[in-house]
Amino acid sequence: MNHTTRVYNSIVEMLPDEANPSPMVRLNRLASTDGLPLYAKLEWMNPFGSVKDRAAFEMLRDLEERGALEGGKGIVEPTSGNTGISLAALGAALGHPVRAVVPERVPDEKKAILRILGAELDVVADALCPMPGQNGGGTINLAKTHVKARPDRYVMPNQYENQQNARAHFRTTGPEIWRQTEGKVTHLFVSLGTCGTVSGTSRFLKEKNPAIRVIAVQPSQGHDIPGLRNVSELEVSALYDPSLIDEIVEIPFEVAYARVLDLCRQEGLLAGPSSGLILEGALRAQKQGAAGLGVMIFPDGLFKYVEHIAKHIQGIAEMAQV
Amino acid sequence: MPYAHPEVLVETDWVKENIGKPGIRLVEVDVDLQAYEAGHIPGAAGFNWQKDLQDQLSRDIISRQAFEKLLGGAGISPKDTVVLYGDNNNWFAAYGFWLFKIYGHESVRLMNGGRQKWLNEQDKPFTTDKPSFPPVTYAAKASNEALRARLAEVMKISGKPNPNLVDVRSPDEYTGKIIAPPGMTETAQRAGHVPGAANVPWSSAVDKDGRFKSVEELSEIYLKKAGIDPKKPVIAYCRIGERSSHTWFVLKYLLGIDTAKNYDGSWTEYGNVVGAPIER
Repeated sequence: MNHTTRVYNSIVEMLPDEANPSPMVRLNRLASTDGLPLYAKLEWMNPFGSVKDRAAFEMLRDLEERGALEGGKGIVEPTSGNTGISLAALGAALGHPVRAVVPERVPDEKKAILRILGAELDVVADALCPMPGQNGGGTINLAKTHVKARPDRYVMPNQYENQQNARAHFRTTGPEIWRQTEGKVTHLFVSLGTCGTVSGTSRFLKEKNPAIRVIAVQPSQGHDIPGLRNVSELEVSALYDPSLIDEIVEIPFEVAYARVLDLCRQEGLLAGPSSGLILEGALRAQKQGAAGLGVMIFPDGLFKYVEHIAKHIQGIAEMAQV
Repeated sequence: MPYAHPEVLVETDWVKENIGKPGIRLVEVDVDLQAYEAGHIPGAAGFNWQKDLQDQLSRDIISRQAFEKLLGGAGISPKDTVVLYGDNNNWFAAYGFWLFKIYGHESVRLMNGGRQKWLNEQDKPFTTDKPSFPPVTYAAKASNEALRARLAEVMKISGKPNPNLVDVRSPDEYTGKIIAPPGMTETAQRAGHVPGAANVPWSSAVDKDGRFKSVEELSEIYLKKAGIDPKKPVIAYCRIGERSSHTWFVLKYLLGIDTAKNYDGSWTEYGNVVGAPIER
């Protein structure tokens, strides 16, 4: 493995850590470069295309070390797609079969990628009626059912409860940001899903400098941004620790899609909808006069959401029809 | 204070102790069979709410003959005690309960807390093995229409003072902000509720673990706060009739309102009727 020449013996060696961080790129046209310059940490540059590469690897390594996958046992995991894709690709490289349980509303691109990667796929119909506090329950319950019925065949990492998820970010994302900003980071902007990213990264950075402000940006209720959760839906996320978050900003989810266009057209950053959401949160902080250095963790890229984005941006949809 | 008919509920521990006992049969009722096929309680048959319990041609419950075929095929006899459980907090199991009662099955129970509670309990097993019971001839009774409200009956009481109607949908559906929860294909032409109906979302009846609340709490919610008169006939409705089965079960068996009916046509019938009065 050589990070300078970028020659590797295995795809697994490309996973990010302090010695091989995911890139950070400053915004130059969308945001002011004074006051609170904003840097986007491009998690889609990870080998399997999203921030979830970190948690997937940490959880898988832990299962391997504990011998939980011996006897050819496979993995079953509830996912909105990215964790499943990371696990399936890692499973392919390391020889573990993967079954992904996804909600129906997940973009078709992600379902197709999971199938291409050889994952078995359960698509769970969206709840017939919203059940308070049970969002995401369908996929989690089905994955748990597989494990309970066939413990000889399946192990469930369970990213919603697995401390290795947060640990991955304490071990990699936090130290990367600290080193990349030479300790100058003052604001961290993140989104909430399993809360592994925010909990692990925040814990590390606040140990280094308790004054760093951690701002979680969440979509409005009833949103359509795959992988994210509104705080009202966080009951399933055992990793959610409000003491590690200084502020929660709620953004109407449609704005996230508009910001995706801005990122593409004004910065050349091919970001996904959750990145658009985080950007809006950071821009608001900048407008309110925040000063220092802001880091936004952009969870994944554009290509898995082409149809979703087209659906939400009327202009794109019209262009597509021409 | 005990429920009016405590015998209709069994706990997960009771079910575990009685798996495989003669005369006791388990049936999982879900919206489809995906969860059942991934794993179910040993010995449980799986009924698909969409395909097994609905007539596939007419919008209706399955016919008496189809019910006989379904139960006989699963090896269930009219004398068996049938314990129903399912996903979504037992909505579809409650619908199954209502259907079993319509066709006169004597001994039916709901497993309190449903599939979710069983799943969360460490000592409760699941299996992927399908049960094999030899088929029997099942003779059902004529359908008991007293358990079922029809459109004409709802139209008749609609808008009258205190119609004793319970709309169990979400507040947004009740107030007409939305016609149906996002993504649902069964909708209606109009949003709102039947004039005079009280809004008590189905989930008001259960605790966090999915088990039913105490009779005192249920009385407070349905009789005191929502103003349901237990001495008068009461009708529950929702969008497609499954959540309202859950509330029907509460009204009839836990609170003891013997005249309680489920309006299975619900909003997807009423909200499409030309000229039906609607309140928002």
